[in-house]
Amino acid sequence: MNLTAEQQATLDGSKGAFLATCMRWLVEWGDVMGAKRLIKADNTHALLPVPNLMARGSSREVIEKYMAPLREACRHKTDPDCYCTVHTSFVTLDDLPDVPENDPESVQMQKDLADMAVDAGFIPTHTCTPYLVGNIPLKGEICAWTESSAVVYANSILGARTTRHGTESAIAASLLGVVPEFGVLLDENRKGTLRVEVTAKMDSPTDWGALGYFTGKLAGLGIPVFNGARRPSQDEAKQLCAALASSGGVTMCHIAGVTPEAPTLEAAFHGDVPEEAVTFDDRVRDETYASLRNHTADDIDTVILGCPHASLREIVQIAALLKGQQVAKGVRLWINAARGTAGNVEAMGYTKIINAAGGRILSDTCPTNIRIPAKRIVTTGFKQAHYARGMLGAEVIVAKTGPCIRAAVAGRWLGDG
Amino acid sequence: MAERLEIKARGVVKGCAKGEALVADATLSFWGEVDAVTGKVIAVGHPLEGMSLKDRVLVIRSTKGSSGTPMILNLAKLEGNAPAAFVNVEVDSLAALGCIVNHIPMITDLARNPFETIATGDIVEVDADRGVLYVTREELQKD
Repeated sequence: MNLTAEQQATLDGSKGAFLATCMRWLVEWGDVMGAKRLIKADNTHALLPVPNLMARGSSREVIEKYMAPLREACRHKTDPDCYCTVHTSFVTLDDLPDVPENDPESVQMQKDLADMAVDAGFIPTHTCTPYLVGNIPLKGEICAWTESSAVVYANSILGARTTRHGTESAIAASLLGVVPEFGVLLDENRKGTLRVEVTAKMDSPTDWGALGYFTGKLAGLGIPVFNGARRPSQDEAKQLCAALASSGGVTMCHIAGVTPEAPTLEAAFHGDVPEEAVTFDDRVRDETYASLRNHTADDIDTVILGCPHASLREIVQIAALLKGQQVAKGVRLWINAARGTAGNVEAMGYTKIINAAGGRILSDTCPTNIRIPAKRIVTTGFKQAHYARGMLGAEVIVAKTGPCIRAAVAGRWLGDG
Repeated sequence: MAERLEIKARGVVKGCAKGEALVADATLSFWGEVDAVTGKVIAVGHPLEGMSLKDRVLVIRSTKGSSGTPMILNLAKLEGNAPAAFVNVEVDSLAALGCIVNHIPMITDLARNPFETIATGDIVEVDADRGVLYVTREELQKD
């Protein structure tokens, strides 16, 4: 990779050992991925979590070793021309005395790191959906984002540009204000690779999650193009993007006639439309739901909504469904939302309705990240369902919002109808 | 009798490593599908479910999924449970980053289909500096 004199000096240690390490990460990564240069990063979303001591079983020694570079990063300053926000953690910063897995020691460590991150210039959004609250990049904006679902959303729905970043690359981009130019940062790598004809009736965000989950498996690291689909709502697009990056390693997708870089099917494929296509019809949609459901009984103990973190509209809809109802004894109903969104709905009066019904709004994280004990989960999120099966060892039922709320109130899965 | 097969490849992340192969024509996310503390694959229904990645040469199609992959790879390394090397058909930027940060060699573009020439349990030597790997097995599979 060709470096400017200043970049080379940083690599050689002119700004100290840690920034030299950051530069080395970016340069080696760029070399490996085929970048020819570093370009200005306008925007980052960094992953700065304390691995939860109690739930994950790591030793104090491992945690301290893992934390050392994160703390060191936060002793520096973010690039002043770069908009830097922060991803979720493995704990919520709120006190949850009834949830021992959100252990106070980890919470304190996370609070301390979060304070350091703020001093460094990071904006403490603590969400997997920065594009809903706090960090909404414009078309063409060069980003360095962690959170696989947000990467797909930023590229596909907003027309911003970010490769799939991890902890170290997003930290380095935040402090140095540059990213290696490879992958979808370049026009020629934003071309569709897989054609998906959508003929299924799409009724809800979860249906779009099914489309993403089905497609991600086939697309691998490629760029799927959806043809024949109507314009999704923001909530539907969120589910689509999250599921694509759960079953697959998708960085972006196109929806022909809808998303910013796909005014037509031809444009999505840069003029080279493949004849071959896979079809997502009603039968495939239903099979995709069924493929992730592994429940062996109908009694449930956990309902998880807001994966990825819920929008205002989703919470308003949930509150309307819950109003005057009561969540069944022994059932946890958690709605995950960014702190910004949670603050808004509290001010608007919706939190009161949800709490009165026995539900809870959880910020900064999600139940799977906290690793709450759960036996049988009902969720609207294909991503949550996919990972909860392994991470929590729980049985899962992925379903639309209405059936999830009905299950929460009944304490039993009552079916989709 | 043990045979040793040489396969040309392209080094992605430099370094050399040797270990027992763990092979699946599949993709894998480290966050959410690998437990760093046990080193085992926890993804339900995954062909490698329950298998330990510790010191193995991981032969898979690519990583996928979460941007937490480098983080979990880092934690696995600190726990002593990281793979010895990655042999991937496609290079996901997250596996590449995780290998760079954690000094784990990675190799791709094998001259032969890795899923037909490498089996779980084979001893694989990865030389990402020279772009070659060697497969040793008691009885090598014929083409």
